[in-house]
Amino acid sequence: MSETPNPESRVPHPELRLPAPVPAILLHSQNSDGGWGYHPASPSAVEATAWALMALGASRPAPAPAEACTRACAWLLAAQRADGSWPPFPGYPQGCWVTSIASQALHLEGGAPAAVERGLHWLLNAWPAEGTLWWRLRQTLFPSPVTAQDSSLRGWNWTPGTASWVEPTAHALLFLRALPAEMLSSRGNERRSLAERMLFNRMCPGGGWNSGNPRIYGVAGVPRIGPTAWALLALRDHDARPEIQSSLDWLEGACAAVHGAASRALAHRCLMAFGRRVSPLAPLLGELYSHNHFFDNVLTMAWVVLALQEENRSDAGRLKTDD
Amino acid sequence: MSFAQPSLMPSFTRPPSRVAIVRTADYGQDLGAQLYEALQEFALPVKGMKVLLKPNFVEPDPEGIINTHPAVVGAARECFLRLGAQSVRVAEGPGHERDSEAIVETIRLRDFLGPLHDLFVDLNLDEVHPVNLRTRASRLRQLYFPRTVLEADYIVSLPKLKTHHWVGVTLALKNMFGIVPGCCYGWPKNVLHWAGIIPSILDINSTVRADFAIVDGIVGMEGNGPIQGTARSSGVLILGDDPVAVDATGARVMGLRPERIDYLAKAGALLGHVQAEKIRQLGASVESVRTRFAVLPAFQRLVDAK
Repeated sequence: MSETPNPESRVPHPELRLPAPVPAILLHSQNSDGGWGYHPASPSAVEATAWALMALGASRPAPAPAEACTRACAWLLAAQRADGSWPPFPGYPQGCWVTSIASQALHLEGGAPAAVERGLHWLLNAWPAEGTLWWRLRQTLFPSPVTAQDSSLRGWNWTPGTASWVEPTAHALLFLRALPAEMLSSRGNERRSLAERMLFNRMCPGGGWNSGNPRIYGVAGVPRIGPTAWALLALRDHDARPEIQSSLDWLEGACAAVHGAASRALAHRCLMAFGRRVSPLAPLLGELYSHNHFFDNVLTMAWVVLALQEENRSDAGRLKTDD
Repeated sequence: MSFAQPSLMPSFTRPPSRVAIVRTADYGQDLGAQLYEALQEFALPVKGMKVLLKPNFVEPDPEGIINTHPAVVGAARECFLRLGAQSVRVAEGPGHERDSEAIVETIRLRDFLGPLHDLFVDLNLDEVHPVNLRTRASRLRQLYFPRTVLEADYIVSLPKLKTHHWVGVTLALKNMFGIVPGCCYGWPKNVLHWAGIIPSILDINSTVRADFAIVDGIVGMEGNGPIQGTARSSGVLILGDDPVAVDATGARVMGLRPERIDYLAKAGALLGHVQAEKIRQLGASVESVRTRFAVLPAFQRLVDAK
């Protein structure tokens, strides 16, 4: 792809040590064009840029300079397609799920309401391929022996022309959830409700989510950390429902055994958002970082920053309560 | 040159393929020595090349049933370095799990390969480039592929011997789904399902053909594979310079008829040999290691009753 990496970002900064300065690592990885690649010195990508922007935005006032965020916003705005969607990379021929993430990042950063509105418009008109009349007829006549789920409940897909899956649906819901109520039309609210029902329908028996197949050949699907954390965050307004509580229980049990920083950060952030007690994240992340440097994965670093911010907020809240 | 010079030639013009079966009791054996001895038969032209090992890493599984065992990956890396490769990297783009670090750490890949930071590439997040597909089995026409794959001189597909609930078996050809980047197509890469799994397998392998394949059949998976099946030990490594022939042999070892596996039958037209008489068998015979794998009812027709 054609974006300009920052050659300096290839070299790890000697002073960047976990846990405290993760935002500084992110800053150091920003490309000269204002975006972020999935790895330092790789071409800027919409998803990586949006998450880095959200992470830096959450970690202000220190150490993220406003200038870095401004350049990131400008890069995202330039990457938006005429139809309001975002492609994974500039030059890629179609918009996709990253539209939810880019729109959310710009909305949280503020200052680009028109772009956010166009992103919202695209998302509300982006329907997955299943659930059409033809699809439902075919499913009725030739039901799939492999999967069993209600295809009339539709969320969002990864790419146009494909089916709803848990994670892109959760990202779209998180964006809709971040918007003020007056921005959502009745159609927006209908889609939100339909997508929430879809997520509950796709939950694995016993709690938790995988990418979107709760049963395969009648056998219960195995939940995974990432989709479960995203689905729970997207369904945060339904925290009294038993499905949410059983999924949180599953996540709590599963995250202790996970060996990936990204999964651990997502689980941590999610559990804290629901008020569940968790052990401090930083020592564990320090150990994981010493193994593989998170594979220099910008998404991982962004999610770590967001989890640490949630932890700080949670600690501050607890201190206040204790006082 | 895996991408630059794909071999698309009708089966009747293609010379016989070679497939070796290596018996090995378990992952505790000296797999490097066993594999190296078997590879000597092939006189592989890898000296000075950038070799890419493409294992099948699906999700964190400490039991060692779902993913290519790290001992096999480590042994393969050791062998290709001994054969003179300039570099040997390990690359995978898991189809469902976004956290590749969680997978490689859970299976303890680091214990077998050493530090992974500069060795392992997450193909889901690699830099990508558009490539026109060389066949038109699906309606895809073009896919974005990772730079690491396109720049590799020599690609080795390293699958697990498994049944698959959509297409019967998943071996060296199906394993190449993992080179399709999630950053463009998602998790799962659902565009391949909508374009048809079988035609997508054919189009991907016609465009980026693995130069060599090594199947981890020491412990495979039967039944509701590729994730929810049960462990089945065959005690073999199956390797060869034609991934179609390797897959056909793998299917025969599993007690299945490869010519009835839709994508293998079609791959046999242009991508390699399925017919047993076109495959020169090295090492152990198929009959001596045959381990009948249970298949789902939908795939009973694949079972070789002999």
